[in-house]
Amino acid sequence: MSEVPSLEVSGLVKHFPIRSGLLQRQTGTVRAVDGVSFAVRRGETLGLVGESGCGKSTVSRVVLKLIEPTLGKILLGGVDVTRFSPGEMWPHRRHAQIIFQDPYSSLNPRLSASTIVGEPLENFGIATGKQKDERVAQLFQRVGLRPESIRKYPHEFSGGQRQRLGIAKALAVNPKLIVADEPVSALDVSVQAQVLNLLIDLQEEYKLSYLFISHDLAVMRHVSHRIAVMYLGRIVELTDKRTLFSLPLHPYTEALLSAAPLPGPAKRKARRRILQGEVPSPMRPPSGCHFHPRCPYALPACRSIDPPLIEVAPGHWAACLRRPAGGDPAPLTPTH
Amino acid sequence: MNVLEVRDLATHFFTRDGVVRAVDGMSFDLAAEETLGIVGESGCGKSVTALSILRLIAPETGRIVGGSVRFEGRELTALSDKEMRAIRGHKISMIFQEPMTSLNPVLTIGTQIAENVVRHWGLPWRAARDRAHEMLALVKLSDPRRRLDEYPHQLSGGMRQRVMIAIALSCDPAVLIADEPTTALDVTIQAQILDLMLELKEKLGAAIIMITHDLGVVAETAQRVIVMYAGRKVEEASAEQLFARPMHPYTRGLMRAIPQLDADAEVAGRRPRLHEIPGIVPALTQPITGCAFAPRCRFATDRCHAERPRLTAPEADHLVACWEAQRVLEAAV
Repeated sequence: MSEVPSLEVSGLVKHFPIRSGLLQRQTGTVRAVDGVSFAVRRGETLGLVGESGCGKSTVSRVVLKLIEPTLGKILLGGVDVTRFSPGEMWPHRRHAQIIFQDPYSSLNPRLSASTIVGEPLENFGIATGKQKDERVAQLFQRVGLRPESIRKYPHEFSGGQRQRLGIAKALAVNPKLIVADEPVSALDVSVQAQVLNLLIDLQEEYKLSYLFISHDLAVMRHVSHRIAVMYLGRIVELTDKRTLFSLPLHPYTEALLSAAPLPGPAKRKARRRILQGEVPSPMRPPSGCHFHPRCPYALPACRSIDPPLIEVAPGHWAACLRRPAGGDPAPLTPTH
Repeated sequence: MNVLEVRDLATHFFTRDGVVRAVDGMSFDLAAEETLGIVGESGCGKSVTALSILRLIAPETGRIVGGSVRFEGRELTALSDKEMRAIRGHKISMIFQEPMTSLNPVLTIGTQIAENVVRHWGLPWRAARDRAHEMLALVKLSDPRRRLDEYPHQLSGGMRQRVMIAIALSCDPAVLIADEPTTALDVTIQAQILDLMLELKEKLGAAIIMITHDLGVVAETAQRVIVMYAGRKVEEASAEQLFARPMHPYTRGLMRAIPQLDADAEVAGRRPRLHEIPGIVPALTQPITGCAFAPRCRFATDRCHAERPRLTAPEADHLVACWEAQRVLEAAV
């Protein structure tokens, strides 16, 4: 653990103002990210899982300073970039790249595939001319694109190939960290498997760190080493994946795991616990623990006390009043 | 007893790139009060099959070019538009993936449910509104009286899908077609909606066709499952049989391609590779000779490339369209 993490954030907050009326006065705040801390170690995949509106995509943008944080600290490879201007940020961008869910809307439709992948090489002064062409050809081969496809344009690729192109582009500058925001969510199962295998192979080959964002628990379990579960802008649980799936401590994690449909009727869960209600608006998050209105185990205190994320067992963090440090990890008894 | 019998259904679209054979000879039965899952990847023709049953294919883009759809003994493909309108939303109704685009944004929820009841049951508006209230309570929308006067944008995605279900079930249909009803929803909301659909099915006795790309969703809801590939049915079995003993190489490939949520997948800390199905789905603009899956199939022989496989039943109530089914079964998974 002496190694510097590829990415470390602490107390990260991002609030978006809501403006309305003629004078565009601020009438509210969306608390998209509300105090989040984690580290992505070298060569590790940290999964960030949660439902729509939990803030996971905002985290992915803020850690790369594609949007500015409201509060908190971001360390990229040990360098505090929180207050860096776009100019100061520039040299650090080559160490941290991003892959999006829909590569079609993130690749310039007017540029050929070779330009898309070659451009970052020129921008960062890594390679030009013939050297660049060689590197592009090498990248195409590595991600499994045919050599002749370098002359094609994004619309000529299938969804899976486009995602490979997005990966080649991210990989071009030899980054240490790749933020992958729902990279396989738009793909069919058979193609999804190809892309996930590629991402895992590349990680092992180049010792990449991934911050992997997904709503799909099965994908998460497959790619991640550790997983952080987010709910309404906060991390409610963080641990290695094996522990998370076998011994979830936070009631929300438990509900999320029990809601996921399993492929195989034999695996159909005996009367699973279905979470009632819906995720409240991040404009008006509930007081205390954000999850208390839907939580079957809530105590009166949960309404007023905002539980901090604490290390309940070694390496296993949870933010729940009913899970004190060193407490019994056995399932909780419902309070109502 | 079958409520719906589909035979050799073929639906083509006529595009600038040529004729797209979206549905290429589909046959299946739907028994009363049964839940049938139709599963497959994008472009396999599962949604077009559903739209064809209800004759909702826009005539300027495509049409049913062959086959028959019999509902309670009537041939739907031969009905006039007016006769068809009397069936849609009444005897057969449908819910879609994105409820926001299927609901009218300028009409209240109450009006949209009552409208259907007035049209098909001929009830006066006052009575239809009572029915709307009853339906909203049935789909467990909180505070149904107040919701009657709300507009779709005031509801969350999960609540909108409940409203769609309320409209679809408002005239006691014999068949409910659900096309990816939970794909746009979060997993905890998905669980609520699937639970609701199954509960209402029990209560109201409608048969359900559940169309989805998600093997998990069919496993949790369907009694019988059809697997589609490139506009054709490649396998059909009870859900138990299909998941316990998949026979078609495509079905087997799909099942092994999904990351496992429950199995202890990692071996000695290493992440195992997922099974890949090489290649991509064929373009449907060219007529496919032989088996559509042959170019991606490791069992394929010359015959598979030349001759379209017939559906056979290697075991009772289990249909598969594969010339090499025996070899596939004998091969270790």
